Amino acid sequence: MDGAPTLPARTRTRRGLRPTFTTAVAALGVTLLVIAGIVMVAYNERAYREGKVQQADAQARILASTVAAALVFDDREAAREYVNALAVDDAIQVAAVYDARGSLFASYTRAGHVAPAGVHDSAAAFGDDQLAVTIPVVQGTRIGTVYLQTLVAPLVRRLERYGAITLLVLMAALLFVLLGASQRRLATANDRLERQGEDLATTNERLRAQIAQREEAEMALRQAQKMEAIGQLTGGIAHDFNNLLQVILGNLQALQRRRIEDGDETRRMILAATRGAERAASLTQRLLAFSRRQPLNPRPLDINRLVTSMSELLHRTLGEAVRIETVLASDVWRVDADANQLENALLNLAVNARDAMPRGGKLTIETANASLDQAYADTHDARPGQYVMLAVSDTGTGMPREVIAKAFEPFFTTKDAGKGSGLGLSQVYGFIRQSGGHARIYSEPGDGTTVKLYLPRLDGAADGHEAIAQPGALAHAPTDHHVLVVEDDHDVRAHTVAMLRELGYAVVDAADGNSALQALDARPAIGLLFTDVGLPGGMNGRQLADEARRRRPDLRVLFTTGYARNAIVHQGRLDPGVELITKPFTYDELAAKLHAMLR
Amino acid sequence: MHATRRPRAAITWSFVVAFAAAVSALGTSAQDRAVEYAVKATFLYKFAAFVEWPAGAFTSAADPLVICVAGNDGVTALVDDAALGQTVDGHALVVTHLAPGARMPRCHILYVAETARPAMAALVDSVAGAPVLTVVDGSAAAGSAVINFVLQGNRVRFDIDLKAAQRNRLAVSSKLLALAAAVRQ
Repeated sequence: MDGAPTLPARTRTRRGLRPTFTTAVAALGVTLLVIAGIVMVAYNERAYREGKVQQADAQARILASTVAAALVFDDREAAREYVNALAVDDAIQVAAVYDARGSLFASYTRAGHVAPAGVHDSAAAFGDDQLAVTIPVVQGTRIGTVYLQTLVAPLVRRLERYGAITLLVLMAALLFVLLGASQRRLATANDRLERQGEDLATTNERLRAQIAQREEAEMALRQAQKMEAIGQLTGGIAHDFNNLLQVILGNLQALQRRRIEDGDETRRMILAATRGAERAASLTQRLLAFSRRQPLNPRPLDINRLVTSMSELLHRTLGEAVRIETVLASDVWRVDADANQLENALLNLAVNARDAMPRGGKLTIETANASLDQAYADTHDARPGQYVMLAVSDTGTGMPREVIAKAFEPFFTTKDAGKGSGLGLSQVYGFIRQSGGHARIYSEPGDGTTVKLYLPRLDGAADGHEAIAQPGALAHAPTDHHVLVVEDDHDVRAHTVAMLRELGYAVVDAADGNSALQALDARPAIGLLFTDVGLPGGMNGRQLADEARRRRPDLRVLFTTGYARNAIVHQGRLDPGVELITKPFTYDELAAKLHAMLR
Repeated sequence: MHATRRPRAAITWSFVVAFAAAVSALGTSAQDRAVEYAVKATFLYKFAAFVEWPAGAFTSAADPLVICVAGNDGVTALVDDAALGQTVDGHALVVTHLAPGARMPRCHILYVAETARPAMAALVDSVAGAPVLTVVDGSAAAGSAVINFVLQGNRVRFDIDLKAAQRNRLAVSSKLLALAAAVRQ
């Protein structure tokens, strides 16, 4: 679909031949014309000569006929009369009669011409400007000869006459050449135009493809921006809620720890309130996951092993009606991801798949190595590179395009009211995005849905123990460590301080960065800085931690936050020596974390 | 070219000829007469080439052309020599001298000499209607002969009587007519 548009191949054979063809035709035409001209001139000349010869021949024959009797009866006077009569024809130069012996009998000569002394029988003889014919005089027997010499138009004059024809032929030839040349130029121009047209079409098509690509990219960007905006919003709300829940939960837990004499009723109420608050906390957790502000604990991870380890859980979750098939590539790369969150995501997808197959079906979990190229990345709001793909497919109802477009948005659900939170896919989306990956839904209504998660390949030899988080054993805190608590929210700070003291730590508290630093300088016994990330007064938790560690490099730092700001989490990873505990945290969680850090 | 036939000129000429004939008759030498006779003898058979005889005049192509001469003058004496070895249109020439009073044989050309004058007209008339080219010498006695020799200066010429030719069913070539000194219709 994203491949370069292919143009239909066009044949170009016709074009290449045309100019050569035209030239050949023009040359042929000119040659034919010249030949025709020569033939015409030759024909005219021949006709002229024949006409002249015929004319002279006729005159000579008449003379021969009339002079015959004069010859027979030796009447020179009569013969002279006959030849003189020819003087009326201006063209005749010499008219002569010879007797049987060949001697001159009678003659007429125009001034400047002489009758030949004797004649021989011969064909008509053309000179440059004269024609001579000899005709025998026969009366029973040969009795003499007539010689007639007439003026003909000189060859030059004749050629001049033919000049008209020649000129005509030349003009026609010129016309032909011009026609040929213009035809050829036209053909060339046509050719160029056609090629330009083709180029234009190509450009046009490329442009259209680019526009389509850009539109797609813009849509992806808009969607991403929308998700980002929603994420900001939900993140903000979730953060505030977390603080509130922290207070609620903390106090509920404090109540629980107290021996309350009022009986089971009160205890049950406290437990119910705690459960509610915990559910609320889990909800905000998922909101934070979507808004990519949940703290992640990425570790090198083998996705195949994770999928395998989950198979029991998945079977139980999906029930008997859904068959599970796993297709795991044998050599998938390792990824750097938070195993708990990935399990969550996979479970979310599985639940969604189950809900799409109310009458049962097949769930396919597939892993493979994959690469995303630049073109795909440009139009799908992703980064090009190597990924490990985790695909979850169902044979369910599928979803239409407009549903796919919104499926990752929080609170968007197609399930009946109360059945879905609308946070499942958005949590998956947020987690994958935060992990530097990419998520995509493919679906055909009626055929089923595939959700593909792409997690970036773990590069280098960064290896380590694969941690599917081990729950830490609860240990009692040592008491020789002082803890500095920095928290701007008074209630939260008070609650935290109370929790720490209960855990056995000596506690110093501060409301902002500057007073925290003063306290740090005043108390060398402080071994751990426990600070909220978001602080007022121009110095946030990160900056405070940096400054504190500059002064006391051995100082441990534990951040707490509703969400992970960029200030702490870079590319989903925590800097070495820095730990983070997410609000709302439990007493146990805090105890385990502190114990691990101050061991 | 048209055949030159000028009756008016011919009339004019006739006076000249008459005058010239008288002069020449007085003044011509014997040698001139000899040439004249020779020319006339030659002419006699040369006419044949310009005359067409009616069908039946010759029984075959091999038939000789018979020239009969009557009388005795310079011409008759030379005819035999002149015609010797000559042919006209493939016909050999035969000259027959007619004795006075003899019965007229079959002739194609009949020449009546001046010496036969008393019987001249009768001889010519005797072949009237027959295909015979009659030739006489001396215009005065021409009568009804087809050709009549005349002298113009020193030149031998001839008159042609077309009526006589028609009567004898002879076609005379226009070439000959053109050469005639006079043509009588």
